[in-house]
Amino acid sequence: MADALTRSMRASHVLVAILVVASLIFAAVGVAKGDTFYLRLGTEALIFAGLALSVDILLGYTGLLSLGQALYFGLGAYVSALVLMVTPSFWAAMGGAFAAAVVVGVVGGVIANRVRGVYFALITFGMAQVAAKVVYNMRSLGASDGLIGVPIINVNFGFAAISSASPAGFFLFTLAFIIILYALAAYLLDTPFGRLLIALKANERRVPFLGYDTVTPRLMAYVIAAVIAALSGALYPMLRGFVSPELLFFSTSGNAVITVVTGGVGTLIGALYGGILLTLLKSVIGSYTEHHLVVIGLLFMGAVIFLPRGLMGIVRPAIERLLARRTKS
Amino acid sequence: MTYKTTMMAALLAATALSGAQAADPIKIGVVTPLSGTYAGIGQQVRWGLELATKEVNAAGGIAGRQVELIFEDEEANPAVAVQKADKLFQVNKVDFLTGTVNSGSTLAVGQVAERAGKLIATTVSFADSITTDKCSPNVFRVNARAGQQSAALAVWLSKDKPKANVFYLGPDYEMGRSTVAAFKSAAEKVGATSSGEVFAPLDSKDYTQYFGQLRSARAQVLYTSVAGNDTVRLLTQMQEFGLLTNLTVVGASGTVTAQNLPAIGKAAEGFVTGVGYSAQIDTPENKKFVAAFQAANKMDPDLYGADSYGLIYAYKAAVEKAGSTDTDKVRKALEDLKWQTPQGEKTLRAGDHQAIQTMYVVRVTGGKFMTVGQVSGDDAIGPDACPRF
Repeated sequence: MADALTRSMRASHVLVAILVVASLIFAAVGVAKGDTFYLRLGTEALIFAGLALSVDILLGYTGLLSLGQALYFGLGAYVSALVLMVTPSFWAAMGGAFAAAVVVGVVGGVIANRVRGVYFALITFGMAQVAAKVVYNMRSLGASDGLIGVPIINVNFGFAAISSASPAGFFLFTLAFIIILYALAAYLLDTPFGRLLIALKANERRVPFLGYDTVTPRLMAYVIAAVIAALSGALYPMLRGFVSPELLFFSTSGNAVITVVTGGVGTLIGALYGGILLTLLKSVIGSYTEHHLVVIGLLFMGAVIFLPRGLMGIVRPAIERLLARRTKS
Repeated sequence: MTYKTTMMAALLAATALSGAQAADPIKIGVVTPLSGTYAGIGQQVRWGLELATKEVNAAGGIAGRQVELIFEDEEANPAVAVQKADKLFQVNKVDFLTGTVNSGSTLAVGQVAERAGKLIATTVSFADSITTDKCSPNVFRVNARAGQQSAALAVWLSKDKPKANVFYLGPDYEMGRSTVAAFKSAAEKVGATSSGEVFAPLDSKDYTQYFGQLRSARAQVLYTSVAGNDTVRLLTQMQEFGLLTNLTVVGASGTVTAQNLPAIGKAAEGFVTGVGYSAQIDTPENKKFVAAFQAANKMDPDLYGADSYGLIYAYKAAVEKAGSTDTDKVRKALEDLKWQTPQGEKTLRAGDHQAIQTMYVVRVTGGKFMTVGQVSGDDAIGPDACPRF
């Protein structure tokens, strides 16, 4: 007998399968048409979906609103860019981003987790602003100009290699990468540790009465989110060949929160769909009118008012019912 | 005769059908901030490009082809600019791209152009790095860079106030420090002495704490690169303390602008800066341009509008010289190209793709920027420091 969490997770997995199939069709059409732009835009959408995924782990499961997740996204991007400019190795860049995210995540987590609620949001916001200003003014990191000249690399698996310059190849690779991040997050949240996080969100004061520590799981969740954001960010310079301090700015963090709220808080998959939707919308609307921020803002307001549980709030229950019917019959 | 005309007509019809390419418009992508902080600059870029395009199209286009501009909003964010540039190159298949404002966007879009095998030009970004250590064979700059502005100002200073004692006050961030350092070296090269420098935090409310240092330095000239409302506070506070008498205030081109000049009021009188363009330039070409610009947009052009206007003519000259829009041929044609702009003749140096142009020194007189001197392009340009080509 599956409980509500397992059931909703299964429904999410169905939605992931739909996303993967749709992406594969998209990639096939893209290759057939010899497209570059839309495949790269899709790749960028997936990268920002990874950032949204990390926000959802904090917001949707642990109940922590982070307004500074761009700090870790930018950290991953800058570390990856710096490593790639020294040695063009995918694994070295990912290793570097991972290590940096763990170290900075633990330090940031210890600071931010001293407080709760709105103060947590403000501290995460503040830390990201400080980091953004430091990068913006540091000449060795390219200051306000950012770093250009990140080389095109081959992601080497031993038996095969994918060039980051190949639009379809790198799109599929990013898709696999983000799906693996999703799978890891989904697996973790279905374990007793994940249930503890959900309990923290529901009522943090009661958790100690059940015999659990609250400090360590919160910190763990924060570090896991930091690592996911950094690993997603590490893909950015491989795709675009540069990094700039704007990646650490509040607009990046804010967009990730908007993405999660639109997609559906606490669904994981909502973050992926929301991320893709927001990136595509911004690109398409931006080409039609210079008032695209107004349009996006109105759409967001509409989503919050009419879809309080996000896009996935409508779609997922339907799939849950479908799954329930199938298991019964 | 009739036979001949029919033949001609048939031939023309045939070329029109088969060679549709010849009649296709030349597409120029414009990635520029249309929203946000830099929207005002993007507006000038847009007006300048549109005016020139209208004139060129009315006169028959470039090599017989009409010019079409395609605008995309980059929000002054390199990450957005790169995505939009990619779209213009891959989907809209533009032949050429321009419009980027902040230097981060120009550098990043330059790299996109390099990988796509296309050319771009900036008409606004003035960071030296774009045509020095981070130069790219696919990037051109038709406006004056920061080094030219400070060199022009330094040359004027050496003539107007030989061997001046200069004090420096900059905003405390990377760009502020680098502009002060650049002007300091330019001024010292032409004989000025430096008597001290201070850096005030951005958005400082109170500048009086630095006035003691300024006083004791007994400087004849103050160089500052603060901008926006910081300039308003700095200059009005200096006026209240009576520091503006017997002191020449010079600064970066963004220190006193048409936007903050009314707020500074009388305290801005006598402020001197080096620029690549001023609407007051007294030549027939410029007067014609200013009149046309005003008629179209009900506003005076600033340097961004003028440089963007000039770019279309540079591209026209290059494409007509090259006989095609092919990247390599146009690049070759643009190198060492000389062409006419509202601010006089410009030359694109082949060694670093930087435009060489006459620089102007302007002084605020009666609430307006008046030209007080000019420095020849060769005196202001400085050495070619591009290591890549």
